Amino acid sequence: MEIDVLELSDRSAKFILSNTTAAFANGLRRAMLADVPTLAIDDVNVYNNTSVLYDEQLALRLGLIPLVTSFDDFVPQDECTCEDGCPACVISLTLSVEATADEGRMVYSGDIVSSDPKVQPAEMNIPIIELKVNQKVVLEGVAHMGYGRDHAKWQAGVACGYKNLPIITIDGCDRCGACVNVCPRNILCLGDKFVEVSDESRLNCSLCGLCQDACEIDAISVTENESSFIFTMESDGSYTVNELIINAVNTIKRKASSMGDILSTL
Amino acid sequence: MFPVRCFTCGKVIASSWEAYKQRIADGEDKAAVLDDLGITRYCCRRIFLAHVELVDIMAPYQ
Amino acid sequence: MDYKCTRCKRTVEIDYQFTGIRCPYCGHRILVKERPTSIKTIKAE
Repeated sequence: MEIDVLELSDRSAKFILSNTTAAFANGLRRAMLADVPTLAIDDVNVYNNTSVLYDEQLALRLGLIPLVTSFDDFVPQDECTCEDGCPACVISLTLSVEATADEGRMVYSGDIVSSDPKVQPAEMNIPIIELKVNQKVVLEGVAHMGYGRDHAKWQAGVACGYKNLPIITIDGCDRCGACVNVCPRNILCLGDKFVEVSDESRLNCSLCGLCQDACEIDAISVTENESSFIFTMESDGSYTVNELIINAVNTIKRKASSMGDILSTL
Repeated sequence: MFPVRCFTCGKVIASSWEAYKQRIADGEDKAAVLDDLGITRYCCRRIFLAHVELVDIMAPYQ
Repeated sequence: MDYKCTRCKRTVEIDYQFTGIRCPYCGHRILVKERPTSIKTIKAE
């Protein structure tokens, strides 16, 4: 298996995964979406809320705010060794904001005060609720580790997906240009003797096959390489993309080894 | 209030909302602003285009 | 159980036997229940 990184930043990545199976690529995708635990506010203790939103709506909004998570320091509460809550599985965050009598105020995710300095909202400028004159919100959020399969607020990977690597072969082209005109993503261009595809834009091909239909002499064919995948993924900010991929692979590894253990005892 | 995450893909979009609102008010093109803010998928874009702020309408009835 | 009159903002007690839902001070007939002081615990989902 080889990995060829095309783009990599803190929040998004694009890479080519080659010499592997669709099953592995899909396993990786699913692990990133559902099986990497992250922190999110789960229980909310509302002391006072006179804003226009109901307590429940406010709690949902708080839950969806991504929290920066360090994978090794926290464990999901069900898997923790403690009886009922310890610093490794329960993190308290408070939000206490009051608008003055003169003017309203927007409450941002940056107003959340965390009990653990390592746990902070991944983005500080998410509007939570707009307070009008004299309104106030006082509450405590209790964050737990959880899995994306249980609720979208624990989903660390966003829009993870892959497609097969396109293979475009041109043979016996008469340079009529019909395929160039019909391609919706402008991947083909007219070369000196025949139609050409540049290596970079080839990745952009959506495998729609319009060029095949347009060619009257069947000189162009678009197929897919079934063992190579163009992988795109984003992180919600709770992990960097790097950490997310590594954690996802570790999760698969752990699951596979526990599967092996179970099978060996049979 | 503007949704924190995209309903479909889960991307955190609320952090771009105020910048979007400000720039639309300044007369910029919606599509250009969304591209610039990194809202590239149509699942996220529709939420920006279709959002109606209700806080000001509801506030007097508290 | 205390209620609040939406017109005169005073705390009122409902007299179920005679006046019914009516503010004894201003006669207004819209009363709202005040938020209890206890802490409300909800699940964020």
